Amino acid sequence: MNPTDMLYTKEHEWVKIEGTVATMGITEYAQSALGDIVFVEQPEEGTDLAVGDECIQLESAKAAASVYSSVVGVVCAGNEALEDAPELVNTDPYGEGWMVKIEIEVAPEGLMDAAAYEAYLATCE
Amino acid sequence: MLRRTKPVRTAAERILMAKRTCLHDIHVELGGRIVDFAGWDLPVQFEGILAEHTHTREHVSLFDTGHMGQLLISGPGVGEQLAAALSQDAVKLPVGRAKYGFLLTEAGTIIDDTILKRLGEDEFFLVVNAATAAIDAKTLRARLSDDIEIVVLASWGKLDVQGPEALDVLQPITEIDLTTMGYFGVCRTQVLGHDCILSRTGYTGELGWEIYMSQATLPEVCRALLESPNVKPAGLGARDSLRLEMGYALYGHELSQDVTPVDAAMEFFFDAERDFVGATALRTQISDGTNGKLVMIDSAQRRRFNTGDTILSDGEEIGIVTSGVFGPSLGRVIGMGFVRPEFTQVGTELTIATARAEITATVGQMPLYKDGTCRKKLS
Repeated sequence: MNPTDMLYTKEHEWVKIEGTVATMGITEYAQSALGDIVFVEQPEEGTDLAVGDECIQLESAKAAASVYSSVVGVVCAGNEALEDAPELVNTDPYGEGWMVKIEIEVAPEGLMDAAAYEAYLATCE
Repeated sequence: MLRRTKPVRTAAERILMAKRTCLHDIHVELGGRIVDFAGWDLPVQFEGILAEHTHTREHVSLFDTGHMGQLLISGPGVGEQLAAALSQDAVKLPVGRAKYGFLLTEAGTIIDDTILKRLGEDEFFLVVNAATAAIDAKTLRARLSDDIEIVVLASWGKLDVQGPEALDVLQPITEIDLTTMGYFGVCRTQVLGHDCILSRTGYTGELGWEIYMSQATLPEVCRALLESPNVKPAGLGARDSLRLEMGYALYGHELSQDVTPVDAAMEFFFDAERDFVGATALRTQISDGTNGKLVMIDSAQRRRFNTGDTILSDGEEIGIVTSGVFGPSLGRVIGMGFVRPEFTQVGTELTIATARAEITATVGQMPLYKDGTCRKKLS
């Protein structure tokens, strides 16, 4: 169920790398755990990110959460559609619910492919 | 990294503490996410908080409120005694009617907020909060004479049927003609052939009834109602956003033994000239003023503020948030909080300092959601 052209973190984010740009979002598991997303803070373009830096703040109807960068790079775009329609994160987490695009500066490390992520998910239930 | 920030109870705490309502198995069957609320295992959501909120405003939802306390209070002259023990004037309350009010300390602070229902000349029914049910019963026992009987209905459950279509789904299985019951009406009747108390009350702002019934038969009623395609279960999450859109206070958030009904801006719920426990202190507060007043907080945006966040005006601390939530019917974050009395005017600009950002808000006019159907005339 998790797309095979993406990489995943243990914190339930996905990263899709196309050329030098990494697009990030949260996985089906994460959106389901958080429930209805009602607010996604837009990241500032040009922000330098290291692995582990907070890059997005999320709020659901019942919890607050943060998305931390899993790559090293510079923010080049946020998903402005989420400003008025944050529910896209729930309805289409791997597509229209993407959150941030990052121009990567260093090859990403330590990410799982879809098969490894699904094996990991089995341990999360 | 995605980190959830809600505290989670340990497995040991859950086993030691958790109390379950008679509808627990139904919640689990329907995929409810169970959380701790005042020591009870209750569903926070089923399908999703926003969907359940909207469904309640448009159709009808079922809320399990079996954690709440139910006290039957009866005996000769009980009305006069209750009128002295509670802020509600039990003597003036007609049979078949309910009234919201408070159980207060001598200092006027709130032990609990309650709904008093008159079932008969000498028989009353008091519905109270879960966390305070034990102290309520103990306090009333001390205030009422020995010939007044207080029965804690520990083997009863409670189910709230709430939404504009509540009449359509409840009437076919109810003995009495529900259209004869006005808002805050109460009666003994049968639902699905089982004895119960029914009141036209709720905590959502929508048309609805609360069913008080034996735990042995309430699950059958719940399942029968769920057969209707327009009925869905709803959890505590939707209950919170529905009540905040209406500006209903919640014990433990807005109300506590640290505040009085005057602080909570609820003077219209009682007659302070009448004598009841706490009334003297309330009269003093009404004439001398209070340090803080409860207000509705409205924001024009979606970023959440939370219980405990500081309220500022021109950089100066003037209050504290008691509840904050995204209001699905309004499309913006709303809440309640205490502010200094000079900042209570509707429209006053406030700044709320959250852990993440400063949010601009205003004092709102209660209720923020104005299309609720709770007072709808049925006949």
